[in-house]
Amino acid sequence: MTAQKDQTGGIDYSRYFDRETHLWVKTMSREVVRCGFDPLGAETSGDIVAVSFEPPGTRIERGAAFGSIEAAKFVGPLLAPVSGSIIRHNHEVAAEPGLINADPQAHWMIEIEPDALDVELGELLHGEEAVREWFAAERKKFEHEGLLAT
Amino acid sequence: MVSLEFPSQLDRWRYLEHDGVSATDGLAVDEAIMYGYGRERTAAWPATLRLYTYRADCALVGRYQNLDDEIDAEFCAAHGVEVGRRPTGGGAIIMGPGQLGVALVARAVADETPRRALKRYASGIIGGLASLGITAAFRSKNDLEVDGRKIAGLGLYLDAEGAILFHTSVLVDLDVERMLSVLRIPGAKLSDKAVERVEERVTTVSREVGRRCAATDVRQDFSTGFAAAFDIELEDGTVSDDEWRHARELAETRYGNAEWIRQRSPRRDARGSAVLKTPAGLLRIYAGVHAQTLKSVLVTGDFNVLPVAIGRLESALKWCRADPERIAAVTAASLRENDLGVPHDAVAGAVWEAARKAIELQHDAVHPGRDGSCYFPEPTGPSSDDEAARS
Repeated sequence: MTAQKDQTGGIDYSRYFDRETHLWVKTMSREVVRCGFDPLGAETSGDIVAVSFEPPGTRIERGAAFGSIEAAKFVGPLLAPVSGSIIRHNHEVAAEPGLINADPQAHWMIEIEPDALDVELGELLHGEEAVREWFAAERKKFEHEGLLAT
Repeated sequence: MVSLEFPSQLDRWRYLEHDGVSATDGLAVDEAIMYGYGRERTAAWPATLRLYTYRADCALVGRYQNLDDEIDAEFCAAHGVEVGRRPTGGGAIIMGPGQLGVALVARAVADETPRRALKRYASGIIGGLASLGITAAFRSKNDLEVDGRKIAGLGLYLDAEGAILFHTSVLVDLDVERMLSVLRIPGAKLSDKAVERVEERVTTVSREVGRRCAATDVRQDFSTGFAAAFDIELEDGTVSDDEWRHARELAETRYGNAEWIRQRSPRRDARGSAVLKTPAGLLRIYAGVHAQTLKSVLVTGDFNVLPVAIGRLESALKWCRADPERIAAVTAASLRENDLGVPHDAVAGAVWEAARKAIELQHDAVHPGRDGSCYFPEPTGPSSDDEAARS
């Protein structure tokens, strides 16, 4: 699949986006999806100091924590955008979490073997027009809150 | 005044006071209280405020810090200093009768960003300090400062159930020498310069009000501060049996468990230094790096009073990503042109040079030796003092 990127935000519109968590999901195959932060999620988190993940083999439900993140003295859960079993996590990102800030779409966090891919992908945002509109609205909201430079 | 968006009949918070708690119990009870604020939400109050003190002394590292890089374990063992790991982020701290622990637990407000939540909750601390006649302000990396000196460190932990814990350590009083012994800052053992440098960057309630105070002496000012800032009443309460049961479980599985306390990040911390020539003399910049994050930056030089610009720069750079572009952006945003008598890109270049040396040490897997704390990084770098000055 060829990634189609937005010129300003660098959004890869071929991916699926979780509106609650600002995580992206990329289908690698029917058995494997990857997920990571979308650019707004990474930017509004601030400098990411640390990430940790539940071990491979852990079963997670959509909305449950698959790991934890520290940024700007905040520690919070990373909530799974799809249900399934954790296959592996990205050791490179665990060792250098700042890579997420540097290029969030190039640096996935975990791979999941999904349980109900078709159903749960339907709950995520997908398609260039919808994603573009959502990102524009979210960007405006974050700018209003002072979390992004105007 | 800040609204928590709860119905008015619920504008009574539970209020808890505890003193002389152990590191394990102090942290376990804070998290146990969170159970009532998860999705099931069984708590009878919209929030619980706990103002408490730890026994002398406890050393608490941040959620992802490397214990050995932050704490002098030998000193702690010899002097009965209990060590713990917080659920919140940030740097290592010392807690005892001189530091007021603040734990505010509530249901997280939907769609509120951590940064906004921290500022909102910090209004209670600012209100408490104000009632003592101290004007404090929020500064970039989630600390409260008084005239450029840190007086309180803030942290936030959100669990997967949507309960939120706001943590603060208010420096009511601080034995700097003791703190320098507990945290890994060996420069203090060679001279009293480190004490002076800490005192230039940190202040206490005692110092600001001009009399020695213990945390219990001023606790009521902070409960009043929270009540006024959130327009609520505080109702004296107790920890429930269920919460104690959760706390005992957490003490066993987490806060008193060596595996939790001693967990490590994939990379060791490291440090580096660089020098910068300015019209006012040479500045030496020390950078402590955790993974690829600047965990501490210290700028020293031959000045009688620490320039405000330097304190501001150190604070802004702490916990920022250690790469040249990010350092340049943060430095440019923090300093006015020629604040230090040189362009800010020269300052950023020197900071990056110090950080780069630290990162190279990490990659070379060289044991970094002693390192810095949230108050003060180690003043002796791996690079020699005779390295070429930047121009």
